[in-house]
Amino acid sequence: MILLVLAVGLWFATQRIHYEWRWERVPQYFAYRAEVSQDTPVAGRVSAITPEGRSNRIEITPEGGGQPVTVTVEQAQVKVGDAVAENDTVGVNFQWRVGPLTQGLWVTIWISFVSGFIGLAIGLVTGLCRISKNPTLRGLAIIYIELIRGTPLLVQIFIFYFFIGTVLNLDRIVAGVGALALFVGAYTAEIIRAGIQSIAKGQTEAARSLGMSATQTMIYIVLPQAFKRVLPPLAGQFISLIKDSSLVSVIAITDLTKSGREIITSSFATFEIWFTVALLYLLVTAVLSQLLFWLERRFARSD
Amino acid sequence: MIEVKNLIKTFEGRGQVVRAVDDVSTQVAKGEVVVIIGPSGSGKSTFLRCLNGLEEFNDGQVIIDGIDLTESKTNLNAVRREVGMVFQHFNLFPHKTVLENVTLAQRVVRQRKPAEANERAMKLLTKVGIAEKANEYPSRLSGGQQQRVAIARALAMDPKVMLFDEPTSALDPEMVGEVLDVMKQLAREGMTMAVVTHEMGFAREVADRVMFMDAGRILEDAPPARFFTAPKEPRAQAFLKQVL
Ligand SMILES: Nc1ncnc2c1ncn2[C@@H]1O[C@H](COP(=O)(O)OP(=O)(O)OP(=O)(O)O)[C@@H](O)[C@H]1O
Ligand SMILES: [Mg+2]
Repeated sequence: MILLVLAVGLWFATQRIHYEWRWERVPQYFAYRAEVSQDTPVAGRVSAITPEGRSNRIEITPEGGGQPVTVTVEQAQVKVGDAVAENDTVGVNFQWRVGPLTQGLWVTIWISFVSGFIGLAIGLVTGLCRISKNPTLRGLAIIYIELIRGTPLLVQIFIFYFFIGTVLNLDRIVAGVGALALFVGAYTAEIIRAGIQSIAKGQTEAARSLGMSATQTMIYIVLPQAFKRVLPPLAGQFISLIKDSSLVSVIAITDLTKSGREIITSSFATFEIWFTVALLYLLVTAVLSQLLFWLERRFARSD
Repeated sequence: MIEVKNLIKTFEGRGQVVRAVDDVSTQVAKGEVVVIIGPSGSGKSTFLRCLNGLEEFNDGQVIIDGIDLTESKTNLNAVRREVGMVFQHFNLFPHKTVLENVTLAQRVVRQRKPAEANERAMKLLTKVGIAEKANEYPSRLSGGQQQRVAIARALAMDPKVMLFDEPTSALDPEMVGEVLDVMKQLAREGMTMAVVTHEMGFAREVADRVMFMDAGRILEDAPPARFFTAPKEPRAQAFLKQVL
């Protein structure tokens, strides 16, 4: 009911600004059939065109005589008797190509996953440093976490790209992934720290009293339990990462958002494209949260 | 087997210094069962935890089977695998099955092959009477069953000494017996044991010596027959009057 009211409201709103919906323009940005021109290797005259299934065989007799040459095309652009020069286009084949939206979606997905995994590793190390007995490690971890959490991601991306990227001569993709990874790393560190500290002290004591070392205790006893406990907040963090990754479009990485902006400049289907882009983000985050939900349920077996 | 000399452990909190273990000296011979009793906060747990280095103590010496815990070249992990400990709240690993609880340390600490560790684990689980729960997770077990698994887990390391810190205090009364039975059997088999407990019946039946602790000190150390009938210390007398 509420959805229906919203839809009707939206329809009236667009009527008032005389917006013409052109949804039919959207699919081509996912995938389209590209024309690939087929050339003749020799100069000569088209002697015959025979249909063969969905394509056509074009026979070209070379100028000086000799064996006819055959070119197979899906759509012929010459007629029998036409003279052709060498490398003239005689017809086209069609090929499926991925459109900019699909490409952008792919870039968004892999950038998010790569920076997510690196971020998880950074977070794990930083989280462990954060609770270590060594004051230097602990101090460094706190400074890093506070720096990242106290500044906007957009500013971090700019600093990473324009300053660190220039100094170290980094590719923009590396700079983008690096900035995102450092960003999630700081938040993950706090989540992991809280997770580790939430594991009862008795667990560590039981493991140590069996003769396990501090490292073994961490690996076999504390981290597996902590990981299970931090899975929901981690999932939330990674879902926001996918959305936050749209900010890398400011350093000219052609992710989903940037693709959307580029398409709009050529198609003028502003509303449709933004709705589609939003829907694609929603799709990715929904799939991810289902996946993590499933993982969580598997881990819950021992409860 | 256990030798303690002038052990001191203090806790500092909110400006106060608590002497949890205050200049304790004692020894436990091989095969001896020592029961430690005393009022709450008297330092029984802290004392026991010093014996396997779980608690770092301030001064004194603890020597387990000839190895001095305080010596800098002593590998605490190596000592701990010879000293089993059973806790009031079981502290089983909730993410591992009963069998995995008993095999994990055998594999990563004793480096036993999985088959060997499993065999040892099943033998011990049978001994404590819960072999049929081997593949359950601890959360599916009753308190008494969990504590018996915890005992099996400690025994799997083939310890020379077993420490028990109020192993039956968190149990419903009807489950206390099953855990005590396992402990009695262990004592009969000649295990060296130090047991903190409020089960006076167990102390009377099994203990070779009963120690009474108060305010971090061992005030009385006597065979159960003497301790329960004619305690010398007035504070031990008062305590016994309360619990008996
Ligand atoms: N981690 C700690 N930090 C500060 N003080 C502590 C700590 N652990 C124990 N204490 C103090 O040390 C003293 C001895 O505690 P302990 O737990 O050894 O007593 P207990 O005899 O085992 O008591 P209970 O019968 O209640 O278990 C108490 O005063 C307690 O408050
Ligand atoms: Mg205690």
